[in-house]
Amino acid sequence: MTEALLSVRGVSVSFGGVKVLDSIDLDVKPGEIRGLIGPNGAGKTTMLNVICGIHPPHQGDVLLDGVSIVGRKPSAIARLGLGRTFQTSQLFRGMTVLENLMTGLHHRTAAGFIAASLNLRRYREEEEAAEEAARQALEFIGMSAFADRPGSALSFGQQRVIEIARTLIGDPKVVLLDEPAVGLSLNRLAEFDTLLRRIRDEKGVTLILIEHVIRLVMDVCDQVTVLSSGRRIAEGTPDAVRNDPGVIEAYLGKELRARHSAS
Amino acid sequence: MALFGRRNVLVAMLLFAAVAPTFLNAYYLFVANTILIYVLLAIGLNILVGYAGQLAFANAAMFGIGAYGTGLLQVHFGWPFWLAFPLGALIATIVGLAISLPALRLSGLYLALSTLAFAQFTQWVFLNWEPVTFGAGGFKTPPISFTPLPISKTLGLYYLSLILVMVLFALAQNLVRSRIGRAFVAVRDGEIAAESLGVDLLRYKALAFGISGFYAGIAGGLYSAMLNFVSPEGFDLFQMVIHKAMIIVGGLGSIVGSVLGAGTLVFVLEALRKVKGVQEIAFGAILVGFILFMPGGIIGFLKEKVRGWEEPLHRTRASRRPPIAATSESSEVRP
Amino acid sequence: MELLVYLLLSGLTTGSLYALIALGIVVVNKATAVINFAHGELFMFSGFVAWMLHVQMGVPYLPSLLAAVAFGFLLGAATDLIAFRPLKNANIISLVLATIGIAFMLRGTARVIWGGKGDYLPFPPITSPEPIMIGGIMVIPQQLAVLAGSIVIMVAFAAFFRLTRAGKMMQATADNAKAATLAGIRVDRIYMLSFGTGAAIAGAAAALMAPLTLLYPDMGFSFFIKGFAAAVLGGLTSLPGAVLGGISIGIVEALAGGYLHSSFIEVSAFIVIMFVLVVRPTGLLGSTRFRRV
Repeated sequence: MTEALLSVRGVSVSFGGVKVLDSIDLDVKPGEIRGLIGPNGAGKTTMLNVICGIHPPHQGDVLLDGVSIVGRKPSAIARLGLGRTFQTSQLFRGMTVLENLMTGLHHRTAAGFIAASLNLRRYREEEEAAEEAARQALEFIGMSAFADRPGSALSFGQQRVIEIARTLIGDPKVVLLDEPAVGLSLNRLAEFDTLLRRIRDEKGVTLILIEHVIRLVMDVCDQVTVLSSGRRIAEGTPDAVRNDPGVIEAYLGKELRARHSAS
Repeated sequence: MALFGRRNVLVAMLLFAAVAPTFLNAYYLFVANTILIYVLLAIGLNILVGYAGQLAFANAAMFGIGAYGTGLLQVHFGWPFWLAFPLGALIATIVGLAISLPALRLSGLYLALSTLAFAQFTQWVFLNWEPVTFGAGGFKTPPISFTPLPISKTLGLYYLSLILVMVLFALAQNLVRSRIGRAFVAVRDGEIAAESLGVDLLRYKALAFGISGFYAGIAGGLYSAMLNFVSPEGFDLFQMVIHKAMIIVGGLGSIVGSVLGAGTLVFVLEALRKVKGVQEIAFGAILVGFILFMPGGIIGFLKEKVRGWEEPLHRTRASRRPPIAATSESSEVRP
Repeated sequence: MELLVYLLLSGLTTGSLYALIALGIVVVNKATAVINFAHGELFMFSGFVAWMLHVQMGVPYLPSLLAAVAFGFLLGAATDLIAFRPLKNANIISLVLATIGIAFMLRGTARVIWGGKGDYLPFPPITSPEPIMIGGIMVIPQQLAVLAGSIVIMVAFAAFFRLTRAGKMMQATADNAKAATLAGIRVDRIYMLSFGTGAAIAGAAAALMAPLTLLYPDMGFSFFIKGFAAAVLGGLTSLPGAVLGGISIGIVEALAGGYLHSSFIEVSAFIVIMFVLVVRPTGLLGSTRFRRV
């Protein structure tokens, strides 16, 4: 049995007396695509925030590749190989698409402000390599024509894709995606499905995604974890979870569950 | 290369500045030197506010710390200018770094107001710590001497300022085109995402504050030498507003814009001197006017209308630039 | 002992003025999440208007005060139209600097109309300037009048927010602008109303303060800083906090000035601002604004 790449152990988080996450356990294997679903307010985004270091848990631990990352700064955790995209668009509007991607390589480059100001050779070489890598990444997602577009001139869907590419370019081990399919039309969904698989297959990246688009979750995820009111109420393959009565109740309420099982 | 593109215009300005002393009278040379000093202030402030997005109001205070530092080290300890000057700038840099620590927890309005309070506090120290700062009356600094060079004080200081502006401009241009510059913009445009890409917020905010403190400190040292006099008057809130106006008028997020803004504003202030009564009204109106109708500043306008003013955040090689026919818009509009 | 009581009373009086200014700042901030940097100048200008009416044109004191309030309201609404509404979605730097620009224009205009640098205009006292003795303590009736006036105005505005429709709509918008829009509230109008009300309170403060000290065009900023310190101390989103903060700052200032050194009067406000913002940004009574990611 393979070791978990990302491990959440007994994590609890409270906001002003309300328990938003209650003793959550989660183990994600390398190369897995894990779905994280649940009704609104279940604590899914908080879970991602804990993992990537934005919000330290009050109890519990998070291990990346066997190393505890709780209490570290988000930028340090990123450098250890954890990437993240967000619900709201976080594309850097004051840069071009190419520059956004080059920023994704920030933790893979090392030139300090002195080397940069003096335009030293080792810095110049690093910069050229970064630009090259960024152009290749654009090719991977088929958006080379957008290289010099300002970040503010992209449609919502295009922004989301660039943000994912920006996270991937730094060669993370694990990427957390927070509702990446928001706003995608049905046609685009199929493309997105393929993209996620390619990311996992060609780049070997482990993915954890929060999604409300159930269809995508069912199609692309290997395993699904269901949260409700801060607790983990189910975990398993998409099919197993889909038919779990507890899950149905969480989403639809007791009455509809009764109707569902009666039919 | 476009005829009126950025590079050509800058070279022309540089040549003009280099030969200016041959035909400018003493008063206008003073104004020119003032412009050079303000260029430094504007560049430093633009890096902090325009690129890194930190709305801080402490620049005039650090300008003052640089001036007072340079002056007081000469007056109290008898140090020569050439030693006091870099040290005055260093003190201002350290203060800038120190401010960045509490600034880490604050953003937007709160940062603006706390740095404003800090600036007022600094002003109060300049005014009231009389045994050290000589209070409201200020103090004289020994005139700077350029021996063994056969050059007068005024001329020497002018060229010193010009050289410093050239060097610090180039350093700043390089910096903003690098991963550091991109990190600054990332902090400005999406702090949380920047962190998720490995950008250490404390480090980069501190760097931005430190750089702006350094530039302001250098400007302050030059200023103290130019006037041979230091008093609290030159570093008050009005000064701070002038600095901010320079980068708004020139264009936020642009080093060249800082140069243009500084020059424009000094000319405007000179012109307003003639209309004593309505000075403040006109100044306020210009500020509001630019913000409402030309939010990108002069640079924004140039980028839209004239070829050759793009300012990428990475080093482009001519061979890599996309052919003009590829996109329908032939010039980028950077917000 | 007498000194202490005298200082406390003096501090209470100036504190209540700071409280009024702070209230104006908080009213605007609660609704719009923005600080009007021209607030001090709105205060100053209204004060001059009161002076013009009462001293130059002989209008009795109370109508002059009311006129100052009304004028303040108009100036505040104008500020919203010029600086806030067009820049609502722009970055905060532009907003702040636009209000600063307006501050400069107001200050310059006041200088042109009413006097240049160094002209301090006196305002006649509204009560007899003779100090009276209450229970062995020397009290200046003017201070009592100001204190009483401040309390009346605070109560009036509290009533406005609690009891009138407009006031309730302002509360609603402050709590949740999106929901307010859905409930049919014209949020733009509410913003303008907030700016106007905030400035009106400042106008009242100016008219009350005028008999106590001299009027001069540069006074706007120093009162703004004090009022802002009070608002920050109380918590930028709390109206009672603004009152508490104002009185605290007034008393601290008076005590520092009386027992330490007069130069400490100026600086205590700055230190309060820096300290509170860094250590406890929500102040004494404010609540945090959550940032959603």
